[in-house]
Amino acid sequence: MIRARRRLAAAIAVGAAAAMILTGCSGGGGSSGGGSGKSLVVDNSFDLKTSDPGRAFELTGSIVDKAIYETVLTFNGSDVTKPQPDIMSYVESNDDKTLTLTMHGKHYFSNGDPVTVDDVVFSLKRVQAIAGNPSFLLDGVTVTKKSDTQVVLTSATPNPALPFILPNPSLGILNSKVLKQHGGTDTKSDNAEAFLNKESQGSGPYMLSSYNVNTKVVFKPNPHYVGTKPAYSTVVLENVAGPTQKINVQAGASQVALDLNATQVQGLDGGKTKVIKGTSPYVMYLWFNQNSAIGAGVTNNQDFLTAIRKSIDYSKILQLSGSGSTQPGGLVPSMFKGSIKPDSTNSYDLSAAKAALAKSGYNGQTVKFSYPNDITVDGLQFETLAQALQSQWQEAGIKVTLAPGPVATVLDSYRNGTLQSGIMYWGPDFPDPSDYLVFSPGQSLGLRAGWKAGADATVTDAANAAASASGAARVPAFESWQKAMNATGPFVPLVQPGQYVVTANTITSVPLNPVWTVDLAAIK
Amino acid sequence: MTSLPSSSEVEQAVGVSRAGRRSHPLLRYLGIRFGISVLLLWGVTVITFVLANLVPANPAAAALGEKAASDPKVVQAFNEAHGFDKPVVVQYFIYLGNLLRGNLGTSTQTHNPVTEDLGVAFPATIELALFVIVFSIIIGLGLGLIAALRHNRFSDQIIRVFSLIGISIPTFWLAVAFFFVFFYLLGWAPGTGRLSPAATAPPHVTGMYTVDSLLAGQWDTFGDALSHLILPGAVLTLYTVGLLVRFTRSGVLDVLSQDYVKAARAKGLPAHTVVFRYILRGSLLPILTIVGLAFGSLLSGTVLTEQVFNWGGIGQYAYKAATTLDLPAIMGVGLIVGVVYIAINFVIDVVYGFIDPRVRVR
Repeated sequence: MIRARRRLAAAIAVGAAAAMILTGCSGGGGSSGGGSGKSLVVDNSFDLKTSDPGRAFELTGSIVDKAIYETVLTFNGSDVTKPQPDIMSYVESNDDKTLTLTMHGKHYFSNGDPVTVDDVVFSLKRVQAIAGNPSFLLDGVTVTKKSDTQVVLTSATPNPALPFILPNPSLGILNSKVLKQHGGTDTKSDNAEAFLNKESQGSGPYMLSSYNVNTKVVFKPNPHYVGTKPAYSTVVLENVAGPTQKINVQAGASQVALDLNATQVQGLDGGKTKVIKGTSPYVMYLWFNQNSAIGAGVTNNQDFLTAIRKSIDYSKILQLSGSGSTQPGGLVPSMFKGSIKPDSTNSYDLSAAKAALAKSGYNGQTVKFSYPNDITVDGLQFETLAQALQSQWQEAGIKVTLAPGPVATVLDSYRNGTLQSGIMYWGPDFPDPSDYLVFSPGQSLGLRAGWKAGADATVTDAANAAASASGAARVPAFESWQKAMNATGPFVPLVQPGQYVVTANTITSVPLNPVWTVDLAAIK
Repeated sequence: MTSLPSSSEVEQAVGVSRAGRRSHPLLRYLGIRFGISVLLLWGVTVITFVLANLVPANPAAAALGEKAASDPKVVQAFNEAHGFDKPVVVQYFIYLGNLLRGNLGTSTQTHNPVTEDLGVAFPATIELALFVIVFSIIIGLGLGLIAALRHNRFSDQIIRVFSLIGISIPTFWLAVAFFFVFFYLLGWAPGTGRLSPAATAPPHVTGMYTVDSLLAGQWDTFGDALSHLILPGAVLTLYTVGLLVRFTRSGVLDVLSQDYVKAARAKGLPAHTVVFRYILRGSLLPILTIVGLAFGSLLSGTVLTEQVFNWGGIGQYAYKAATTLDLPAIMGVGLIVGVVYIAINFVIDVVYGFIDPRVRVR
């Protein structure tokens, strides 16, 4: 019996040893292979759905499409104040209704075909026709071929934002000839998405090497790209959660980590890694429902709103949000034309807050404050901000109940205008202040806060003036509109979080941009 | 809610005639089990569909961007493309009809057919699960047997503590700890993903990179894929081994006191014959059940472990589907998880029938 047990133990030991040998046979090696030669690994927390530019409108989709597709216009680096020529140059008519685009040099798709005006017309019309996420970018715009070198974009109403819209990677120019052979049309019946998720058809610096919407996208250089050749012959954009990105970049398994927050980047600026700090273009804002049935005489009370604004200690909010974060004066982000500095309407003044609260007739009613608890904005949690605000309002005598929920359900209720108050964020669709006029009374965002058309004539007039302003008059018009919003509107611009990119110290340049986050081809 | 069908209804449903009743007991047993499995599968389709559609949120709003969700034209196009514009009952029958043709719909997030997504995600999870279950059986059964045979001795105590630790430590915590220690600090194993970022996946045959790379003769890729299994595999193995040790130990202890084991020993049979032919076989049924359930649990998605190691398996797919209200994907995952458990239970039932004749004549 003893002998048999020894045999049994020996057999198990052999089995266990075999297991150990097998599991260890290919060793670790720590590195995932990045960083050698001319390959670059970039970690990103994916929200990717498609690489078809006509359908993509997510952050990761923009990163992917910026690398693959050229657009008619572009921005230089992170400067979004002046559109620049890419495939075409532009001239705007005095009434801002007509934009004439002219071919700017020669450009070639990855199969060697030259980019033509027909490709431009097809690509822009396709975005409009397929009714995808980005189709609104060209709402009300008629695209016409004028000649073999020119395209005219005509808008029924003045559209001074159009040059700022055209650099969006969703408006990337496709090889129409190839696309038509694979189900592509500039009508509703287009079915080229699956093809574009396998083979890119652009004239940008890179082309798709492999594409997996859940795990990674691999790029290789477009041999016919006419711009500055990218520094890396292979770029891997891989889907990695924030905390893992930190370890990956520290271990040298990746060279760029895009989704770390203020806490996670602590200690990474030095040694093998460095931190690039910036300010996010996302504005996190508060809203208070103006619908009397939902506001219950509280959130739709002007004095109550004044108390709310003045009882927020914005400096503490900035501390919580980390370095690089900033307090926007209005809803337009600080890096866009037309943005304003904070003023007395959104400064901390507890005694003024208490006085306004007393004037409002508030008698201790509890306000329900909603926010998503399963997403972050540049790593900043809504929960953190909501708890801080609750505590600050309590000091002023305002009772708030926190109502967290998944973003899918909170957003749905918010869009239906049924929530009393909360915190949400707005990311730029394009870097122009006109993208923010939707917060005005009767507009899509205004209605979410129960702010109906005609509810505030001053703000509506200011919004109309901003929308119709042209040239140099646009900046003061948008500033006036935001000041009017701050004076009586239901929205409180709270914070633009800090934005951090951690890189290996071998990386010398990572140009960030609020429209496409990062230009992979410009990383050096 | 309908009551469960009687056994005669089930038999009628699967076409077991009176003549069939006189067929071989094992065949009759298999027929009944198969019929029950089909009914359960239908139940799964109903439950996944109803639960997915009970969520109080709009899938179009969740899938579309802020601006697009405000555009009725875009929302309508989205709803038409995914069939969300039809009444829920109609949607169910369309879903069922498509299901019978092997079509699980199109993911609102990845824009791929759900079957295509699952065709990538499920083999990833199968590969990990097979890796884990093989090592878990070898180690778990061995340690469980040793613990039982050395009941209350020092080695038994050590193994019990080991199994308790394996079961008690939260898997997600262990995953993070292993990732940090063995990838970052020690560099013994690669961190995330199924292959190194620059590596190219082998030609698709099974979807399991280790198998496909072997079939293609790509030894470097095989080594790379195998090395990526180490950390997530070790995390899940530790838990599964803990589970198996406990069940094996208690199963063997039960059998050790049985008369037939005493008789075998009294007859002077060699110890290894007693252990393998009498003790282990006698305790196999409960062990088999727990192996099956553990395998099912692994196959149905080890969400947090896959998330930490960015495994790209069904757990990660399910997580993404749930957090983005991707109804076709949620239903697809629900269905496949249901199929996995039903299939495993069916297989266990069948194996029971083979191992223990008493089961099939009950």
